[in-house]
Amino acid sequence: MVNNSICIKTEGLTKIFGSVQAIRELDLEVKSGSRFGFLGPNGAGKTTTVRILSGLLKQTSGTGTVCGYDVSTQRNSIKAVTGLLPETPGLYSKLSAVEFLEFIGALNGRNGDSLHQRIDRLLAILGLEGRQEDLLESYSSGMKQKVLMASTLLHDPQLVFLDEPTSRLDPAASALVKDLILLLAEENETSFFICTHITSFAEDVCDVIGIINEGQLVIVDSPHQIIESTKTRNLEEAYLKIVGGKVDRQTLLTWR
Amino acid sequence: MEVAEMECRWLQIAKAEFFVLTARFKGHRKLFMGLVLSLGLLWAVYFAPLVVGLVMEVLTPITPIRVILQVMFPGLMRAVMLLLWMLLLIIPLGQALSEIKIGQWEILLASNVTTRDILVGTFLGKIPSYTLYVLVLAPLLLSPFLLALQVSLLGQLLIYTILTLMILTINWLSNIICAALQAKLGESSRGNDIAKALALLMGLIAIIPVLGLQLFATQFSVILGLNVFLVFPFTWSADLVSWLAITFNGINLTASQIAHFQNVLQFDLLTNGLLIVVFGVVCIGIGLLSAERLFTYQIGARSETVRTVKRENILLRGLRKISPSSFGSLVVTCFKTFFRQVQNLSKIAMALTLSVILPFLVILVYGQGSPITLDSLLPITGYGLAFMGIMAFSGTSFLESKDQLWMIQAVPRGTSRFVKARLVIAVLIALPLSLIPTTVLTIMMGLELFQFFWLFGYGYAMVCGAALFGTGITALNPNYEDIKSPVYTTSMMIANMICLFVTMASPFILSVITRFFIGVSLDTLLVTWGFLSAGVGRTIITAVFLLVLGALVVLVGTRRLGRPGT
Repeated sequence: MVNNSICIKTEGLTKIFGSVQAIRELDLEVKSGSRFGFLGPNGAGKTTTVRILSGLLKQTSGTGTVCGYDVSTQRNSIKAVTGLLPETPGLYSKLSAVEFLEFIGALNGRNGDSLHQRIDRLLAILGLEGRQEDLLESYSSGMKQKVLMASTLLHDPQLVFLDEPTSRLDPAASALVKDLILLLAEENETSFFICTHITSFAEDVCDVIGIINEGQLVIVDSPHQIIESTKTRNLEEAYLKIVGGKVDRQTLLTWR
Repeated sequence: MEVAEMECRWLQIAKAEFFVLTARFKGHRKLFMGLVLSLGLLWAVYFAPLVVGLVMEVLTPITPIRVILQVMFPGLMRAVMLLLWMLLLIIPLGQALSEIKIGQWEILLASNVTTRDILVGTFLGKIPSYTLYVLVLAPLLLSPFLLALQVSLLGQLLIYTILTLMILTINWLSNIICAALQAKLGESSRGNDIAKALALLMGLIAIIPVLGLQLFATQFSVILGLNVFLVFPFTWSADLVSWLAITFNGINLTASQIAHFQNVLQFDLLTNGLLIVVFGVVCIGIGLLSAERLFTYQIGARSETVRTVKRENILLRGLRKISPSSFGSLVVTCFKTFFRQVQNLSKIAMALTLSVILPFLVILVYGQGSPITLDSLLPITGYGLAFMGIMAFSGTSFLESKDQLWMIQAVPRGTSRFVKARLVIAVLIALPLSLIPTTVLTIMMGLELFQFFWLFGYGYAMVCGAALFGTGITALNPNYEDIKSPVYTTSMMIANMICLFVTMASPFILSVITRFFIGVSLDTLLVTWGFLSAGVGRTIITAVFLLVLGALVVLVGTRRLGRPGT
């Protein structure tokens, strides 16, 4: 049963790895069709949250639903309606881009001409049509990221988890991904849950921003509201004000 | 902070190497190493001869075998040195190839360190550990001979010094070769793949020249006009040790006895010493002079030749026709990933080579011309083939990284579909793996057609069973690294041990069950059920057990692999 208004809802979601509390009592609500930006410093718990929500990791406590499916009991249903772009590329180096996407398509139970047409179009949009038959081992990290982006969108998911989608991309490719997200959200009502460090990207793409620090959700609001409430000029300044970590010019050179 | 001029950069690298080797004793490294080396020396010149002497006294008094030991000494030293040379060259090479690490060099070279510094530093850092190996292990082997010749303390010290220097020379040589290979192969992912494949075949590569030397030594000697072994550095070092033992003997060897040694060894102490010094100096010179060339990056990681995929071959097209579903596509892509990795091809090549050698081993066991029955032939062939199945399908190349697993897990029932596809590939590859050796065996032993079918059927079932075990255990304990990783070794060992246990124990277990519950022996039951013989029946039981248990392991492994992380 799919909830049409809320695509992600968590209550008291907690994840503990040994002595490290990765996520603490996370209460989150993400509306369907929205582009949710999940910001936070390294080790704040962003990737752990994405892994739990996409059915790859068990939470220690708390509950959650994704597209109306329970994260504890309906993981396969969640996987069927979501797409995941992992933080680091886990590609098969000995397959070409087309073959890799065919592999992902086959895992999702798709094959034949319709799949191949979709693969060709996606690769063309992402500017890889000239290299699509080359083995992935010869691709740059940005090109690999594009192939992964294509694999995430291949089965037309309702909700897409993107973990650092533009960290390896050049400005042109970043702009392309930005436009693709905006278009898919507008035309298909696809929801996006985007983990990123790049505040300018989040400010441009996301309609809602959640900032997580040391496993706890600190703030959830629109980028504009966050900037306004923190009395800063942009999201980067707001982020630094909320999370901390801004070092003054004097201190920056004290190591010399 | 002032910029300190680092004159001895090689010393810093040597220190880093030493720190890595003694990481467990952080904080007390120098004290620990000094203590251990002193104990090693004491062990070599005092305790080891004492312990070995006592053990020999218990087993057999030294006086009656003194002459035998004296006669054996020069020949045995040559054999030991040859083995040492092979081991000291092959093991580091295998390790270097299975774990290409040129990233570290980039950091060093970026810090304005010369390539010569890296080579010298890496080598020097390893000296303490290699010296320790010599001091601990060499006396165990040499002591009986040193006792037989009653070599003086000075003689013993000289012998261990020569051995240490020789081992360090080999280490230097292997360092140079490793550096050259790593620099060449580490530049690209394909090179990396080739390196891993070579590491797997290292054993075979080492055996072939030694076998060649043993088989064709006489012919070589005729061509060269002298004993062929005298042109190899391992002979010089072995003979030098022999001469030192003879020179510093405490049993007053007579002039005629020494003349006998001269006849066997041919080159005298001085010549051997000179040859080994020249060899060492040449090795050091080559290393230092070629260092700059070895470490040069000629091409970047991605400016290598780009490999483009071609049209699918007839086998893959056939597979697609047989199974036009999405699962068929999955099998085809898994097939491509499996066969495009050179290390997989190397594993298959190794398994095929061994499977062709297997019939010769079988004949060795039975003796040429002896009567062969299926009862006796099936068990040995079966386990041999199962071993090959494990070698080909367990441990590596299942998943390239943990991230790949995340991607497969992110698909509903992704892991189970993935494992099933891998099993289809294993079952297909098992066909030639079992067909080739059983055909060779049939031809060589003049088996009848029905015997061939039994042998092939059984062999195929055993390879498939082993493949199930190999895949299942790898799924339970996935390896994302390479053949050097402990996970790989563990998976291989566990799969092999379980296979061996099932092969040997299943008929016995069933026999106990039938006796206990039915009151009839298994053999009687098998003959009653119409099997060719009890032996053939037992092998069928073994194959069924292996397949059923293998399938269970795969089931458990797949469930575990697909389970969300905790």
